[in-house]
Amino acid sequence: MLQHFDPNKDYGTPASLSEKQVTLEIDGIEITVPEGTSVMRAAALADINIPKLCATDNLDAFGSCRLCAVQIEGRRGLPASCTTPAEQGMKVWTQNDKLAKLRRNIMELYISDHPLDCLTCPANGNCELQDMAGAVGLREVRYGFDGENHLDAPKDTSNPYFTFDASKCIVCSRCVRACSDVQGTFALTIDGRGFDSRVVAGQDENFLDSECVSCGACVQACPTATLMENAVIEMGQPEHSVVTTCAYCGVGCSFKAEMKGDKLVRMVPYKGGDANHGHACVKGRFAFGYATHKDRIRAPMIRDTIDQPWKEVSWEEAIGFAARRLKEIQAKYGRESIGGITSSRCTNEETYLVQKLIRAAFGNNNTDTCARVCHSPTGYGLKQTLGESAGTQTFDSVMKADCVLVIGANPTDAHPVFGSLLRRRLREGAQLIVADPRHIDLLDTPHLGDAMHLPLRPGSNVALVNALAHVVVTEGLEDRDFIAARCDDGAYAKWRAFIADARHAPEAVASITGVAAEQIRAAARAYAKAPNAAIYYGLGVTEHSQGSTTVMGIANLALATGNIGREGVGVNPLRGQNNVQGSCDMGSFPHELPGYQHVADPVARGRFEAAWGVTLDDEPGLRIPNMFDAAIAGQFKAMYVQGEDIAQSDPNTQHVEQALRSLECLIVQDIFLNETAKFAHVLLPGSTFLEKNGTFTNAERRINRVRKVMPPVAGKEDWEVTVALANALGYPMAYRHPSEIMDEIASLTPSFAGVSYEKLEQHGSLQWPCNAEHPEGTPIMHVDSFPIGKAQFALTEFVPTDERASRRFPLLLTTGRILSQYNVGAQTRRTANQAWHDEDVLEIHPHDAEERGINDGDWLGISSRAGQTVLRARISERMQPGVVYTTFHHPGSGANVITTDNSDWATNCPEYKVTAVQVEKVTQPSQWQQNFQANHQRQQKFLRDAQPESR
Amino acid sequence: MSNEKDHLIKMINQIARNNSSAGDDSAVADVVAGHIKKFWSRRMKQQLFELVEQRSERLYPAARMAGERLRSAQVN
Repeated sequence: MLQHFDPNKDYGTPASLSEKQVTLEIDGIEITVPEGTSVMRAAALADINIPKLCATDNLDAFGSCRLCAVQIEGRRGLPASCTTPAEQGMKVWTQNDKLAKLRRNIMELYISDHPLDCLTCPANGNCELQDMAGAVGLREVRYGFDGENHLDAPKDTSNPYFTFDASKCIVCSRCVRACSDVQGTFALTIDGRGFDSRVVAGQDENFLDSECVSCGACVQACPTATLMENAVIEMGQPEHSVVTTCAYCGVGCSFKAEMKGDKLVRMVPYKGGDANHGHACVKGRFAFGYATHKDRIRAPMIRDTIDQPWKEVSWEEAIGFAARRLKEIQAKYGRESIGGITSSRCTNEETYLVQKLIRAAFGNNNTDTCARVCHSPTGYGLKQTLGESAGTQTFDSVMKADCVLVIGANPTDAHPVFGSLLRRRLREGAQLIVADPRHIDLLDTPHLGDAMHLPLRPGSNVALVNALAHVVVTEGLEDRDFIAARCDDGAYAKWRAFIADARHAPEAVASITGVAAEQIRAAARAYAKAPNAAIYYGLGVTEHSQGSTTVMGIANLALATGNIGREGVGVNPLRGQNNVQGSCDMGSFPHELPGYQHVADPVARGRFEAAWGVTLDDEPGLRIPNMFDAAIAGQFKAMYVQGEDIAQSDPNTQHVEQALRSLECLIVQDIFLNETAKFAHVLLPGSTFLEKNGTFTNAERRINRVRKVMPPVAGKEDWEVTVALANALGYPMAYRHPSEIMDEIASLTPSFAGVSYEKLEQHGSLQWPCNAEHPEGTPIMHVDSFPIGKAQFALTEFVPTDERASRRFPLLLTTGRILSQYNVGAQTRRTANQAWHDEDVLEIHPHDAEERGINDGDWLGISSRAGQTVLRARISERMQPGVVYTTFHHPGSGANVITTDNSDWATNCPEYKVTAVQVEKVTQPSQWQQNFQANHQRQQKFLRDAQPESR
Repeated sequence: MSNEKDHLIKMINQIARNNSSAGDDSAVADVVAGHIKKFWSRRMKQQLFELVEQRSERLYPAARMAGERLRSAQVN
């Protein structure tokens, strides 16, 4: 009889996906399992636990340790149960004298070359080798311990998060296989043969210098203390755990936060998490130290002006001060003179409350969110074409894709766990097409088959996507049945005539895109002819003056080829931050109430008015850049900013700073004194994801629980602060727990109608729409119909950006992210991830460097129409000539001092990806950087003076 | 002219340029007006009406037409 699946248990080998069942008998118990299931897994499913060392259920069977030997009726010898598939009618015995003797002999050999330091070993209490010694009844080691051994093998402590102690290694290859099969990096290997076999990183380098990406899969896979988290070495084994959701990227990995009291020992990716299935990256697994960093804001603070020191006050005083200021400003300048920004790093419940506070208590729609500067074009473009502002698939869907088109995304850096899954599919033979100005790591995937790289020029996405569609239409590669059944006839006819025009032909746009026409034709054919073709895109699509047009062009392409509505296909926006999808869903945009219901819709607005007990404004409010403009114009006077650092993340920093300086009251709620808080009058301590309850919604619309594992450092979860501010403003909020907020969201948001904390506990996670029609959620969208009935093809004319290279600014700058740092770096800069990236650099092609006499490491002045900054040079052939690249993880770099306020025509999403610049060697920081440092020192002093005891 | 109005003119002209495939100026103006009605704030619309009143030469014809239509719809 099969037991209930327990994600905490290791079943030894992966599950079989076969639909055919076989029945076998193990130790006299009849068991039915999918064909292809190993005998080991079949036994484990019946709670018969066969000893094992080299097997673990996220890796294919390897059969090296032989500890899992079993006896099978009619078979010679004692086969390994991990590599033996269960067969119909098979009879298996897992325990008898012969097996016991074999297993003890194997363990004797292992232990004869293993330190006998169990009591002082960091794995004590959680060591599979120790467990197996117990399981097989090991009582003696007849070989002694004086023979040749590896007990003096040196430790590798180069990685800041884990130690490799080779003296404890049993060469089971689990780490090597985890690195290749799970992570897809292939940084580890077994060097030598026989007794000399040993695990090595890279070309026999230390871990830090090798191509290891520190995902930790090897550490998790290790059955001994050979690869062990330094935190466990220092603190000992955790004593309890809580399942929660990562607060970094939009993959939304589930983790077990393993605790000692209220101290977090380690984050272990949770096998039961449907977004990550037990895998993680260097950020999610290891970079949580910021939560207890000394820089955390531990008490509320206020000041009258931003050139004054902070004054530490009680919560009551800070909230009262903020509410009083907001009321005074509205009385003086009008109802629309204030607004706020919700955070994609905060929970759905917190985001919902902030927009509710603005709409109901501020009395206007001046609410926006940081999705404005990343994926707002996704919301617009997908709603126009497919009828819903969200990606169409699950992450797992990629495992059924035959062709994967990645446009403007760098998944191995920005969405690493999905990147690993994609790499797995590519190793299985799926075709890869990358459209990106840079040569991204995905193109270097080990064991990748044929891959196409379309190295387009920044700013030419629409021309490229149109050209792909032109080939589909003019070469007869459309899915006519799908179009006839699922798409609006009129819109299709118009679009077909538009896209078939010769101006969209690859040959016609080659001079715009910089990509050879034949390459575009080959890519279009590969995409259109694949049985299942999927598109994944990121900020390289959205952060352009035509971001929304490209999103619609992508949807057109998927519709024209019938790649919507089943597994393996779809349109997949890779969301940058953990809760970008959720913050958009929760009504953060100034024109939409929760669930993308327009403020002008009297029926929807009426429901909210009835529930909230107020009259709501029926006109959209200001977007973030409009707020900045209005502030500089003297019409917008106060902002409430929760968990967002607009002074660092938004473009044209000097314009943003001018806007923030113009405010009479800036209320910042954050875990640190971030760049925005330096312009604030009220600083309210935020809480990390470890300190609160709630939910995040990831890029596949998956709503996952966030569970509190430690108390908030300043005593309040973020949602409690918003509640306090609302009450102080005279708008009553009386929630006792985030579950009550979710109940309210469900009652007002049709796509969330079936969501509750109780249901999330039952299912683990739910993908919206989750309602009466889809009571268990919707993994794949648009299967039978679109929310708008028939899908709408959109006309996507290419309009060149105003931001063009010129004699004065001959290079194009594009910005992006790297693996080890996260967004503005406020969290990851306060962790050991600094070991990989402690400064932003400017990547420049050797040709451009040579022309300017630039060497690697030189200081470079970068000038644009918006400003100047100085970064160190890195000569790199990843870039094409004429294009330079940098990241914006360090505030002092001033990457956004040079980005302009050009933006997407439909949503005002900034054009971070195209800035015309000039680069030259310099000897000192820019004027902005010098001013930044001076202000930084001054503001830090104001903070120290306010908190003398905690500094 | 204020920085705010400069941005506003740039935005509406951008909307017009990006919807040029809708047809003639009148058809494009319909799309632009629909977009502004749906996404722009009250204050931004008011500023647009001021530009229309001033017969700003910096507005594209379709953009100006969109502003005129929205203004007249509001007045009526």
